[in-house]
Amino acid sequence: MTDCGCEKARRDLEEYLRHEVCKTEQSDIAEHLANCEGCRDEALVATTLTEVLARACKESAPEELRDQVLAKLRAVQAAH
Amino acid sequence: MFATLERLDREAPLLAERDAPLSGGLEQAAVDWRVMSDSTDQAAEADRDQDPRAQFEEQALPFMDQLYAAAMRMTRNPADAADLVQETFVKAFASWKTFTQGTNLKAWLYRILTNTYINTYRKKQREPYQGTIDDLEDWQLGGAESTTATSTRSAEAEAIDHMPASVVKDALQSIPEDFRLAVYLADVEGFAYQEIADIMKTPIGTVMSRLHRGRRMLRELLADYAKERGITPAATRSTK
Repeated sequence: MTDCGCEKARRDLEEYLRHEVCKTEQSDIAEHLANCEGCRDEALVATTLTEVLARACKESAPEELRDQVLAKLRAVQAAH
Repeated sequence: MFATLERLDREAPLLAERDAPLSGGLEQAAVDWRVMSDSTDQAAEADRDQDPRAQFEEQALPFMDQLYAAAMRMTRNPADAADLVQETFVKAFASWKTFTQGTNLKAWLYRILTNTYINTYRKKQREPYQGTIDDLEDWQLGGAESTTATSTRSAEAEAIDHMPASVVKDALQSIPEDFRLAVYLADVEGFAYQEIADIMKTPIGTVMSRLHRGRRMLRELLADYAKERGITPAATRSTK
């Protein structure tokens, strides 16, 4: 395990945080994050942005939509 | 049959806890289904086989809130979002026999949603820069990374964390559509890059580029908002 340095860590940070394939070894990025406060902050901003987006975009479908969809599906099936 | 369960687990987004109630309900449905198939309750199984609509409703309808939320971000208004979701379910039901049990139902539904949106709704609200956005250079899109001093990053995270939901949604709404979709599918829905590529019918490299740029633009917009409101104490940005 070797510290990959800021440049590679920043480039592949998103992929690292999402557990996606990236050019830099996950363990090397992990080691770098343990050593570098700046990149840790960058990772914090990245994960916070994801959390905030997920939180902000929560919606509940209107009650009547469920009934409309159910009625539509029954109508479609009846037509066959 | 275990594949179904594993896939559902694996599908848990980056922040698994955020839609625990939804995936909990879904797992429940999957478990019930497995129990029924494995059990000797032949009557119930036969019943299920005979009624694809009941099966469809049981498996697909739990995604309604999620699909509606995505449709809201796509169409930007409740009436169109409701129509889009309805159309998506009708189309999905029409192709239900082509869906392979045990594969990723959520991704399958999102693919239909996205196709329907692109083919129907996007035409009437097409944005002028559509189709050329991937060609824009990074400097034309701006970048939060280069303009935010290292020392203020944790302050930036804190400012983003306290951003009102309406501001976050407005910011998301204001970035180009292809970027918005990539960000939505990755951050809100927790889809993997390959799944987003399948849903948007683009190469993985394009997904990554749209996601990175979209997120950079969001950061920029949110940083601007925070700065205007004086939320970020230092807000030391070298440009603008």
